Amino acid sequence: MRRSPICLLLLLVLALAPTLSHARAHAHVRVSVQTPYLELRTGPGRGYPVFNVVPRGQSVEILFQRTNWLKVRTPRGVEGWASDRDMEQTTLSDGSTLDLHIGTRAGYTSHRFELGAFAGVWGGASLISTYGSLSFNSQLALEGSVGEFFGRYTNGVTADIGLSHVIVPQWRLSPFLMLGVGLVHTEPKATLVQPANRTEQTAYVGGGLRFYLTRSCFVRAEYKTHVVFTKLDRNEVEDEWKLGFGVFF
Amino acid sequence: METRVRRVLLTAAALLALPGCATIQHWRNHRAEVRAARAEVRAEAAQAQSPDGASSTEIPPPAVRPEVERRRARAAKIKSSNFEIGAHFGVISIEDFGSHPTYGVDLAYHVTEDFFLRAELGRATAGRTSFETLGGNIQLLTEGERKFTYYDLGVGYNFLPGEAFLGRRHAMTSSFYVLAGVGGTQFGGDKKFTVNVGGGYQILPLDWLAVRLGVEDHLFQTNLLGAEKLTNNLEAVLGTTVFF
Repeated sequence: MRRSPICLLLLLVLALAPTLSHARAHAHVRVSVQTPYLELRTGPGRGYPVFNVVPRGQSVEILFQRTNWLKVRTPRGVEGWASDRDMEQTTLSDGSTLDLHIGTRAGYTSHRFELGAFAGVWGGASLISTYGSLSFNSQLALEGSVGEFFGRYTNGVTADIGLSHVIVPQWRLSPFLMLGVGLVHTEPKATLVQPANRTEQTAYVGGGLRFYLTRSCFVRAEYKTHVVFTKLDRNEVEDEWKLGFGVFF
Repeated sequence: METRVRRVLLTAAALLALPGCATIQHWRNHRAEVRAARAEVRAEAAQAQSPDGASSTEIPPPAVRPEVERRRARAAKIKSSNFEIGAHFGVISIEDFGSHPTYGVDLAYHVTEDFFLRAELGRATAGRTSFETLGGNIQLLTEGERKFTYYDLGVGYNFLPGEAFLGRRHAMTSSFYVLAGVGGTQFGGDKKFTVNVGGGYQILPLDWLAVRLGVEDHLFQTNLLGAEKLTNNLEAVLGTTVFF
């Protein structure tokens, strides 16, 4: 019997769940409150009620962080959520202030990894794609993307790898250029005269804009022009437009 | 065509030249720093190793050896728990093909307390259309083509955060969410671009565990039954996820 990949994924998720939940036993960072008091909420959000306050001078243990909230424990064993803004005013044992490295504009300018997802158009067909990038410095990054397009006459999959160059990384709205190579696998629909699937090499250049939104999130819009090296006498040119979200780490 | 290819090559050259200069400059500066640091370390090592013999006459031994160990400033390492992975089970109503069980996996990344990005992969098996049922031995689709496989990438928004109370002693954080995304659906021997919208309610019995009850609509255009039309495929699921 052929097992579906989703079944296997499900099993993997169920198998991993206890491991993931147990992976949190490690030494916690302890900080002391410097402001008149530190508010603790019942959940990681500004909408959750404040149920406890920690007075100045008392220490709290940081258990873990979720988005811009930190779960902390007081010496009396009370656990609650404090905002990153409040926590950045606490100090470590050596007197230095806590630096959380939660996504900021500085992180947007210079970071190591990016992940993102797009919706768009590839050669006239609707496209969904994801990408990941590894930055060498604040300007140059190696990027890889995979996408699937759904056309009226053809469906297909694309995969690209290349370099991207952010011209002025400090700008909030920042233009970039791209260059690379890839593969495109096209599956013409069966009603056409030539229903054979094809896999062809491509090369692309492109450019785009990215705009910092908040925390570690930005919007990214890009255009690529692909030259598809076909087995026919002439090469084809396909345009790709897409818009999506990215996060950096 | 030639012009396009030439444009590709010219842009390639420009693109490589621009970051190349920046990278080489950065690399050269870095190398210079590394060289300086190594020279310093070597000088220190030579000073420390040299005995009080004749060779050490040039560099006198330090009068006072500092006994204070240099303190290294380290950024606090705090475990983050912004990703969520899990599975869902439920019922999907595949338009014209009846309601059937569905199951799948989800992966989400929480960007802020309000917004999250989510990827989902699911599957169901479609039944028979009323035409097939009434028509006797007619088969519109093969068994393989009845597999309804969908995936989507989307953005979600949490709203109305609150708490759900279990008796007098237990409270669990909860919130409603809406989400919208795009994806693909493989069904009836074809793949279709799909838009999905949905919403639901979720509670977190533990900090790392979420349980959600959600409804989603997967919309796509199809001409499977002759005429081109937009189909709505509504899904109601119970899902559970683990934060990590």
